[in-house]
Amino acid sequence: MNVTKNKSYRLTDLLDPGFMARLDGLDVLCRKILHGRLQGERRSKRRGQSVEFADHRPYVAGDDLRFVDWNVYGRLDQLFLKLFLEEQDLSVHVAFDSSLSMSQPQASKYKFVKQLSAALGYVSLVNNNRVTVSAFAERVTAQLTHMRGRTRVPALAELLVTQDCDGPSLFDPACQQLAASTPTSGIMMVVSDFFFKDGFESGLKRLIGRGHDLYVIQTLSPAELNPSLSGDLRLVDIEDGDVAEITVSSALVKYYKRNLTAYCNELKAFCTRHGAAYVLASTDDSVEKLVLNYLRRIQLLR
Amino acid sequence: MQWLTPITALYAAALTVPLLVLLYFLKLKRVEQIVSSTLLWQRAVQDLQVNAPFQRLRRNILLLLQLLALIAALIALAGPIMSMNSGVGQRTVLLIDRSASMNAQDGDATGLTRLEYAQQQAALLINSMRNRAMFSLQDRADQAMIIAFDERAKVMSNFSSDKRQLLNALNAITPTDKGSLLAETLTVARAFTQAPGEETNGRSAEQRAQLHLFSDGCIADLDRQTLQQDELVYHRMGQSSDNIAITAMQARRSYEQTDQIQVFASLAHFGPSDIDCDVRVSVNDDVIAVRNVQLAAARADANGVTLEAGRASVDVTVTYAGAGLLEVRQLQPDTLAADDAAWAVVAPPRQLSVGLVTQGNPVLTSLLRACPLASLQVMTPDEYSETHGAALQSPFDVTVLDTCVFERLPRGRYLVFGQPSEAMGLTVSGALENQFVIDWRANHTVLKHVNLSHVYAAQAVDAVLPRDARVLAEFNNGPALALVQRGGSAFLWVGFDCVQSNWPFEPSFVLFCYNALDYLGMQVSDTHAAQLKAGEPILVQGLMPQAVGVLQGPDMPELDVQVGAEGSLRFPGTDRVGPYSLTLADEDPQLYAVNLLAAEESAVAPRPEVKVSGRTVQAQSGPIGRSNVPLWPYGVLLVLALVCVEWWVYNSKVRI
Repeated sequence: MNVTKNKSYRLTDLLDPGFMARLDGLDVLCRKILHGRLQGERRSKRRGQSVEFADHRPYVAGDDLRFVDWNVYGRLDQLFLKLFLEEQDLSVHVAFDSSLSMSQPQASKYKFVKQLSAALGYVSLVNNNRVTVSAFAERVTAQLTHMRGRTRVPALAELLVTQDCDGPSLFDPACQQLAASTPTSGIMMVVSDFFFKDGFESGLKRLIGRGHDLYVIQTLSPAELNPSLSGDLRLVDIEDGDVAEITVSSALVKYYKRNLTAYCNELKAFCTRHGAAYVLASTDDSVEKLVLNYLRRIQLLR
Repeated sequence: MQWLTPITALYAAALTVPLLVLLYFLKLKRVEQIVSSTLLWQRAVQDLQVNAPFQRLRRNILLLLQLLALIAALIALAGPIMSMNSGVGQRTVLLIDRSASMNAQDGDATGLTRLEYAQQQAALLINSMRNRAMFSLQDRADQAMIIAFDERAKVMSNFSSDKRQLLNALNAITPTDKGSLLAETLTVARAFTQAPGEETNGRSAEQRAQLHLFSDGCIADLDRQTLQQDELVYHRMGQSSDNIAITAMQARRSYEQTDQIQVFASLAHFGPSDIDCDVRVSVNDDVIAVRNVQLAAARADANGVTLEAGRASVDVTVTYAGAGLLEVRQLQPDTLAADDAAWAVVAPPRQLSVGLVTQGNPVLTSLLRACPLASLQVMTPDEYSETHGAALQSPFDVTVLDTCVFERLPRGRYLVFGQPSEAMGLTVSGALENQFVIDWRANHTVLKHVNLSHVYAAQAVDAVLPRDARVLAEFNNGPALALVQRGGSAFLWVGFDCVQSNWPFEPSFVLFCYNALDYLGMQVSDTHAAQLKAGEPILVQGLMPQAVGVLQGPDMPELDVQVGAEGSLRFPGTDRVGPYSLTLADEDPQLYAVNLLAAEESAVAPRPEVKVSGRTVQAQSGPIGRSNVPLWPYGVLLVLALVCVEWWVYNSKVRI
């Protein structure tokens, strides 16, 4: 982690304190029962030492005699061991896109992404989940791993506040790096516009292959959803300098919107097909509305 | 429909249509815009259009509209016209009559004069001419020449296809009050037509030009002209024959009572009904008398052409002892104003002061004493030399030199018998004997009622006259009578001593002496010289050489004039009728009356046909329409409409 320490950052630089107060009452929900790493508050696939009974199994030599169910032995005259559910902590990964494409138009999209990431990271931290926050472009450009508890909120704020847009986006190598840096499966929230010229499929497959409960949050600006261009233009891609010469006409805009819808539907269909959740967010809406209403409705938060 | 400049349009089409299509292949200068990703835009562009260039043009309504607009512009450039049925030939000569009758104000219903209407009609013909294609080497434009004529022809424009130049020349035609003769006009037109060269752009002389005559047909010498078949197209100007004219007028002092002026005027009526009209006589704008005159209707043929006008006369005696301008004006409104009035300059009654220089000639002395003169002084040559030899101006109105020769003579008017003085500019080459007068100018004022057929001179002077001298009578071998102007003096020279001839025994001698004194004394000649017809020059003699003055007249600005070195002044520009005034420095103004007094011009009934060399040329039926209706304005309108539609289509396409 390359975060400088000479200034203390607060999450209120990004989020409204009132909104943060409302986030305190939320927690992250996982649609899967996953393995945790430490003792925690979440049900685990493992059997362990909680108070909640799970199953019996025949006693074998070497088992701890404290877990023998003596009532069953009295009735059946056979030794059975009582098994209890294990409760472990939950890994939450928030990965947001910090490539140059997020800086358009007028960096409103990037600010939205950072606010959303801050809200999701904050909710995860205050509920004692193990939180990893990553910024990616052509690779993972910044990352805070294994954060837990409110004490890590300033570190989260520092990363989000200081991280600038830079470099082109190469989604597949970035996802490969993300997958390698998060060995424990958990909730993976990827926030980006997903305008990747090398495609999004292979990158997402890498994350899904890790067993993550994947949430794909596509953030688009109003200029991308409803372009208001006019005249004869030479469109220059901010990341790679690629050029598209257009004469804006109603037909062209119609084709653009049709392609945008098809692209979003393609991403959504991919997510559905691979058990991931897809969320399309417009930066025209507020982050509060997205988090408190929409993400709760799809039960990412509760 | 025909095309005036099709080659121009073809060249322009060959240049512009490919250019327009090419412009659609050229890249526009586009505004650069940074976007987050071009991924979807590229896909949209790919969806919108394919890369093949000609498929880009497919179903491109903007290009289609632009091509249509361009084609419409090219059609307009080609100069489409509806028809050429007026028959404007390749070369046209426009003959515009600007004589007095063309000033009748019945050209059209709006009150234009015939000449103004003729100019309008001729302008229509000029505008209908075919232009030369801009880049064609073979195509040739129609050419026109403009000649304005009255009694004389005036070339307003040589053959030209420049419509602006032709229209300017046409508008420069000014009306006159002269008569109308066509002979000189036809001669000039043919001379230009048959002279190939630069002026006619090398056009062959064999190509016959068509003559378009814009006139009312009141042309005096039409029947004496010759024309080829279909050479002349006659455009009749004017509608009415209603006109009352003063066709003759004379005003002269009574011999018995010199303070009375006898005014005689003859009126002619060319209208179809009897009419009463008032005739006003005024002197220096003071009305002296008004007479009512009854005029009978004119007799006309079936075409309305006047055969015999209704005539009446007015005789008024005016008591007026001074000098002035007498005007006779008929007050009934009619179509032609130029013949409604006539003017006469009346001089005050005056008797001459005459000096007779002689060695003793009882014939002359007794004859002059018998004349009504103010004074007669008889002197010998020596007395004359001593008394008046050094003077600049002669003290006598007329000085009679009877066979006396002087080295120097004061400026004045002289009747010289026998040997001429050196100041007269004659070169005496010898003597003649036994001479008879064989010819004389009987219509000259000096020889009015003078019969010289029996005049015989035993001795006469053989002299060579200067070139500007006017010979009034001739002997067998030399001049007998001559008028010479020299150094501001006027000399009436008789080339023999009267006592050496039988002339004193002839009645003509008395008449001659009376007329000569009258003429030289300007008592009669002033009035005659001041009474002119339109077009006759104002000629004044006996003035101070190089003197400057101002000439004023109707419809003309003040004109500065200068007397010539020989002491005469000539002004030929009496185109309009009315009083003219010449004011020389430190002298009273001299008046000149210019009148129409021409019944043939006053008969303003337009001729439905003109007969030229026995061939009848019918007038064109109706006014000249816009024979070649230009269609290019509609092409331009179509261009504008297509551009508007294109703008609408463009906006509807780019509207999101």
